[in-house]
Amino acid sequence: MQNVIFGLITGSILAIASVGLSMIRQTEGFINIAHGQMLTLGAFLGYFCVATLELNIFLAGLISMLLVGILGVVLSVLVFNPVAASGPLAQLFTSIGLAYLLFGVMRVVFGANVTFFPTSFGTRFDLGSVNVTVGEILIVVTAAIVVGALALFLNQTRLGTWIRATASNPELARLRGIPVQRVSHAVWFVASALAGLAGVMVGLIGNVHSELGWTLTLIILAAAVLGGLGSIYGVLASGLLLGLAMDLSALVIPTSYRSVVAFGVLILGLLLRPQGLFVTAGRREA
Amino acid sequence: MSGLLLFLVGVVTLAGIYAILAMILNLEAGWAGMWDLGIAGLLAVGGYVFIITTQQTHDDVILTPHWPMWAGVLAGSVAGGLAALIIGIPSLRVRGEYFLITTLAFAEVIRQLSINLGSLTRGTVGFNQFTRPFESWTSPSGYRWVLLGLVWLVVAVVYFVIRRLGRSPYGRLLRGFRDNDPVARSLGKQTNRHRIQTFVLAGLMYGAVAPLYVWFIRTVTPSLFTSEATFVTWTALVIGGIASLRGPVIGAIILLIVTEAASLVQGSGDMAVVLASVRFIVLGLVLILVMRVRPQGLANERDAFAGASERVAG
Repeated sequence: MQNVIFGLITGSILAIASVGLSMIRQTEGFINIAHGQMLTLGAFLGYFCVATLELNIFLAGLISMLLVGILGVVLSVLVFNPVAASGPLAQLFTSIGLAYLLFGVMRVVFGANVTFFPTSFGTRFDLGSVNVTVGEILIVVTAAIVVGALALFLNQTRLGTWIRATASNPELARLRGIPVQRVSHAVWFVASALAGLAGVMVGLIGNVHSELGWTLTLIILAAAVLGGLGSIYGVLASGLLLGLAMDLSALVIPTSYRSVVAFGVLILGLLLRPQGLFVTAGRREA
Repeated sequence: MSGLLLFLVGVVTLAGIYAILAMILNLEAGWAGMWDLGIAGLLAVGGYVFIITTQQTHDDVILTPHWPMWAGVLAGSVAGGLAALIIGIPSLRVRGEYFLITTLAFAEVIRQLSINLGSLTRGTVGFNQFTRPFESWTSPSGYRWVLLGLVWLVVAVVYFVIRRLGRSPYGRLLRGFRDNDPVARSLGKQTNRHRIQTFVLAGLMYGAVAPLYVWFIRTVTPSLFTSEATFVTWTALVIGGIASLRGPVIGAIILLIVTEAASLVQGSGDMAVVLASVRFIVLGLVLILVMRVRPQGLANERDAFAGASERVAG
């Protein structure tokens, strides 16, 4: 049971992180390898707010979310828009370049050491055979609230409808007069802000270090692809599933094989259902 | 010997190694259209099989066949090809970015296995004492010249082999089904079989050249085979010009000189971390700028095959 709790925590963080990746993939048309670095940046900013500025952890999370979100929009305008006409190969490699750039800059600014959030997880209490801390429950609850808010935003607001329209058919959306530029900014902000929040959570349950982005990029990609990239709920579900699979596998095989399990699940998933686990309609050929 | 000269010899040797990798990548990605992000995994297979079969000094691994050097290279190559076959059969069922991600995932699985199968690979410690070819011929300080010559000899051989392949009917077929699979199939070409063949051929070649990388670095640890090796190779290819002939070599030389220049500056302690990070910043900036200014790369495909189509037409 303990592993189910861990799996839920890992899964909800993964879900938040991979939703952003799949939103960018759908509206902008390429896989943003730098997404994992945005996560790391969120973790570092959160750590900086808590450890150096001595802010409350919730305030720190909010600040990193906003800052990473704004950075996402700025980078999309400065870095990605100019190569949009050159096609997905150019965009993909621009994002790899950006990932290295961010990685290098973060190592210069924050150093290469491993640090821990100086935040306590609150009281630990036992529920039968399981024991959880207040902090861990808060992470899962926050993730649930964020996912709920995202669903409301996408379904109930005009901007959200535009985003879904652009995601399902960019050309048609443009023809119908949807302001593509505003949609693009909104997507980059939301996706990056979610990455920033996920980064703070990753830092909280583990540690903060500069290699975080590279390790996570692969697992986030796995979750996003497994969910079928296009479907936001599919990606959420597969993020949760992957988190559970990784932590439950610890019961039968050594924990050092944790990420092997994640990629094993991804490879199996792609082979058995190449269109994504939770997608019913056909997947467009890339 | 002056420090600058030593540094240059190292950079040019490493550039040669990446030029070889980029040329092989060009065969499978540039011409056959298979965007492989699993290069590091195949290198790891080749490198580990080579070192396990040939090393004489580490007795704490379960397999120590003590094979001669040439047999180890051959074994590494065969293992690379086999690994490519195992990876290729399932991965080639998916296309585009799903292929990218599947190959990337396989490479990461291989790396994790190399960390976890400690009784075979010595885990994160790895192998650090082994003899290199022709080492007895020269003094330790002169060996870098031997390695430089060896690497660039292989560059030349691989260049001519790949050029021959690229200009052959086989190369035209690869570019043909890259651009239009249905047409190639309608002409009776079994495109999926050719894809697997090309993928395995690339695997054999990665496996065969992995020992060069091992001899240059002088250790074999899992950290050698992170996706950084894959991305540096891709960057070299993309800078030089994907699907061109000379592009991979030009790209590798430019990229390695630019990124390694940072390590010329001597520093200690905290400074060393900053300098090591500058390498990544430069790598990222070069990639972003090339994509913006010249997304097709420095050399291009049209020039590389300018004469070929006329010869066919004539």
